[in-house]
Amino acid sequence: MDFAWSEEQTQFRESVKKFALEELNDGLRERDKRSEFNLEGWRKCADFGIHGLPIPIEHGGLGADPLTTVGVLESLGYGCKDNGLVFSINAHMWTLEVPLLDFGSKEQKQRYLPRLCNGSLVGGNAMTEPGSGSDAYSLQTTAERRGDRYVLNGSKTFVSNGGVGDLIIVYATLDRSIGPNGICGFLVERDYPGLQVGRALEKMGLRTSPMAEVFLENCEVPVENRLGREGNGKNLFTHSMNWERACILASAVGAMQRLLETSIRYAKDRKQFGQSIGKFQLVATKLVDMKMRVDQARAALYQTAWLQGKGKSIFLEAALAKLTISENWVRCAEDAIQIRGGYGYMVESEVERELRDALGSRLYSGTSEIQRVLIASLLGL
Amino acid sequence: MTHESSAMSIVKEFILDEFLPGEEPSRLTPTTALVSTGILDSLATLKLVTFLEQTFDIQVKAHEADEEHLNTLHTICELVDSKR
Repeated sequence: MDFAWSEEQTQFRESVKKFALEELNDGLRERDKRSEFNLEGWRKCADFGIHGLPIPIEHGGLGADPLTTVGVLESLGYGCKDNGLVFSINAHMWTLEVPLLDFGSKEQKQRYLPRLCNGSLVGGNAMTEPGSGSDAYSLQTTAERRGDRYVLNGSKTFVSNGGVGDLIIVYATLDRSIGPNGICGFLVERDYPGLQVGRALEKMGLRTSPMAEVFLENCEVPVENRLGREGNGKNLFTHSMNWERACILASAVGAMQRLLETSIRYAKDRKQFGQSIGKFQLVATKLVDMKMRVDQARAALYQTAWLQGKGKSIFLEAALAKLTISENWVRCAEDAIQIRGGYGYMVESEVERELRDALGSRLYSGTSEIQRVLIASLLGL
Repeated sequence: MTHESSAMSIVKEFILDEFLPGEEPSRLTPTTALVSTGILDSLATLKLVTFLEQTFDIQVKAHEADEEHLNTLHTICELVDSKR
């Protein structure tokens, strides 16, 4: 395995870091309080090329390989403290752009991908329902073919980018009696008749990433907006989740590196009992553990992306990467608070927000428990 | 033994071991439905795809991991053979 960055990749990563530090953090504390999406930041990231990183140039993207993609997203996460904005971008990329790229018709790709890459369309994902979370394929939303349209009925919750999404991928079943084999994905535009975005859902963390309920009442979707073949939704969703698990926490590795560096600086500067608190072994070992966790997370991320770039299946590695990074991110954020003591508990330290944001990573794209079930199974257990 | 029959016996043994333990081997025929009957659920499909890629040194594309290509031993072996 070779994880060495070329000069071009290094320059790109550095430019993203600089851009993020300078352009994406102003006003974050207030936006977090108000659960406000940074649309300007979204557009800036799109202009920079972030949204289209893994999408081929002919569809409006940058055509980056998986390792370059996660490397750039890691730099974005280092520079951008707005984990909610980064989460929204990730949801847009992995749940909509990539399935569209790999399962979409030529017309669908031409119609949507360039505008998804340039950020003029915001993508959303509607899989989860009130009664189906980890058991995603037990969804109840139905789709019925009527002539040149499908008619969708049901309700979705935890819809990523729900409040701001222009194009949402909605999963529904054509035939409940055949279980997962009846599921199908649909590209649903916000203004289609019968689609109603419900209340915004207030979250503990990632508050700047909009999330909402979506209701489908005789929502009419043109046949040409079915993504993939009828009944292929399970395959579509599995593919989407595989990419998401492999890549969605790349930015978290950057965030962890930032937490480590600021915590080391704090431990050196903060004096108690006549010396820097970093000189106390109980504090120093926390920083060592943080360093260990960042390196573990980065290794899992890079290994998975490298394998993916070689065309290998990464079901096991993606689940391991997602589990490793999310658990380590939470522990890093906890340690960062503990090292700062009471100051770390204060909102103005901007560390408590990191913990709130990190906790969500144990839940989305499959909980840590689901990742363990998946990994155990793939180990042959 | 031809390539096809060799691949089929390897895949058949894997499916029997992993997803149909205790099943009489003769009941798993080249045309036994695997996806539509739920023998290959989503997790089992991931395991089968990983097995096929590693055993036969092939790459299964995302859109190929579906009922059309994986529903029977026969279609699985057709997919494998098309990539070798």
